[in-house]
Amino acid sequence: MKILVIEDEKELSKSICQYLSNEQFITETAYDFNSAFEKVSLYDYACIILDITLPHGSGLDILKELKKNNKADGVIIISAKNSLDDKIIGLNAGADDYLTKPFHLPELGARVAAIIRRKSFDGKNVIEFDELHIDLNKKQATVKDVELDLTKKEYELLIYFISNKNKVISKSAIAEHLWGDDMDVATSYDFIYTHIKNLRKKLLQQGAPDYIRSVYGMGYKFSLPK
Amino acid sequence: MRLFAKYNRVNVISTVIIFLIGCAAFSVLLRYVIISQIDEDLKIEKNEIETYVHHFNHLPNIIEVHDQYTTYKPVNAPGKNDNKIFTHKVYVSTGNHSELQRTIAFDINTGSTWYFVTVSKSLAGTDALIKTILAITISLILLILVVSFLINRIVLKKLWRPFYSSLQTVQKFELSSKQAINFNKTNIDEFTDLNSILSDSLNKAQQDYQSLKEFTENASHELQTPLAVIQSKLDILIQNEKLSEAESQSIQSAYHALQNLSKLNQSLLLLAKIENKQFSEQTTVDIKQLLENKINQFSDLWKSRNIKLQQDIHDRKITGNFYLTEILINNLLSNATKHNINNGCIKLLLNNELVISNTGAAHSLDQKQLFKRFYTQNNSSVSHGLGLSIVEQICNVSGFTCTYNFETPNIHTFKIGW
Repeated sequence: MKILVIEDEKELSKSICQYLSNEQFITETAYDFNSAFEKVSLYDYACIILDITLPHGSGLDILKELKKNNKADGVIIISAKNSLDDKIIGLNAGADDYLTKPFHLPELGARVAAIIRRKSFDGKNVIEFDELHIDLNKKQATVKDVELDLTKKEYELLIYFISNKNKVISKSAIAEHLWGDDMDVATSYDFIYTHIKNLRKKLLQQGAPDYIRSVYGMGYKFSLPK
Repeated sequence: MRLFAKYNRVNVISTVIIFLIGCAAFSVLLRYVIISQIDEDLKIEKNEIETYVHHFNHLPNIIEVHDQYTTYKPVNAPGKNDNKIFTHKVYVSTGNHSELQRTIAFDINTGSTWYFVTVSKSLAGTDALIKTILAITISLILLILVVSFLINRIVLKKLWRPFYSSLQTVQKFELSSKQAINFNKTNIDEFTDLNSILSDSLNKAQQDYQSLKEFTENASHELQTPLAVIQSKLDILIQNEKLSEAESQSIQSAYHALQNLSKLNQSLLLLAKIENKQFSEQTTVDIKQLLENKINQFSDLWKSRNIKLQQDIHDRKITGNFYLTEILINNLLSNATKHNINNGCIKLLLNNELVISNTGAAHSLDQKQLFKRFYTQNNSSVSHGLGLSIVEQICNVSGFTCTYNFETPNIHTFKIGW
């Protein structure tokens, strides 16, 4: 599956590509309006990450072009403008999601994964990871056909982890994802520890391998144990 | 006081004064002229009598003339009454009343005898004349006053209409709207000038405002993108699991500082936006629901620090901007959490007003400094010192009130009145 990153800041574009590229995704880049416009019209992408302010044009025009041609590409707008109006304009123009800079790469990863799931499995919406099976419509996670009894936060955490599997996710990224970025209390992330501990316990209880690993107290990594 | 009223007052008062002085002068003058005329007549009478005496050497017979009385009185020797003219009050037996008379008195010699002669003319007619003339004059003056008052009023009102219309246009003008200001056309030069100056400066202000807004947004863009780059680089950096402990600690510090920086940037932008009144949309906001959502959001945090929540929340809906109200409540709760002590307590009370109290430091915050930007107690890195400024700004633009209160030993209370 191909992902197109349309972002004029090359370093940011590079980070995004580096983070998202894996065995499942190939990333392509466009740094200005014209090359982006060309790529969008020539190829189909599973997901397009679109900056609004581009050299020589506006990202919104690319979005409009996509919609005009009835392309099914999922679009996430990444904008430095944290204004409600822009968000509404972007979403009305047909974007699937809107992320304000600066953002955590795992957050972008989770949103890209969500869009691709929605686009590719039309309605089925199921995540499989090793022995884990999550039905997103029913909001139900099972291990070896046994349902896990998860709280809302634990369930959200699990999906977030799977969307960013094999990646180290910082605590602040987790906190922001689960509690929102307006909760300005960033002194300690002790409070997320409880949720992670409980999720881990519940997975282990159902005989799943220990997927969640703490990395140097910096963050967590969700992967198949080696 | 309205311009009309002021102008009319000055106008009427000065007109009345001038007319009164005019009336007085007029009546004095009129009287003087008439009396001079009478005096002339009296002198002519005297001349006639003298001429008659000169020819015939005796006094003429007294002919009864209306309003004129002549008397002769023989005297031994001429007095000093030559050509003396005076006014005096006389009792008139026929009319049974007293009246003013103008009299000329003189002595005349008929050859044998000296006579003292007086010729008097009644001033009653003259008085009546003066009174009539004055009455006519005064009523004319009053008429003129009333008419000019009305004309002034009507004409002035009409003349000033463009001014009031401009005033209304300016009053309705909003700096944040992108619509240029438009005044009604007028054919009065002064108002055309006024309108053109007003529209020039207001449109200029509007343009400045727009460019300031653009500047704010650009500043945001310029800052957010490098922040995003740093953030992404850190997110990439921690993927390397071969980092040493010292390195990962450095990264954590960088994460932390970066987060503070982006929060700070967001808060500054928010303050600028609030000051620019960019959140003007008003809706009905359900405070109870908003508060309950926020409690939900904060509950994990409180649990981890063993902070107890006491709540007494009643239904309360207000009219305001939803987004701002949410930020207001969020900042107050953040504040109550950040500056709380472990095993502390937060008390929420919502009825007509919202009262948020929390346990915290054992001394009162500085009331004067509290809402100032970048005011932080003991320079803690916990807070960038903008949270309460934002609260104050939101209260200012939304018409809410915010008060702070300290109770011993360590209870800090913020009260929001809607």
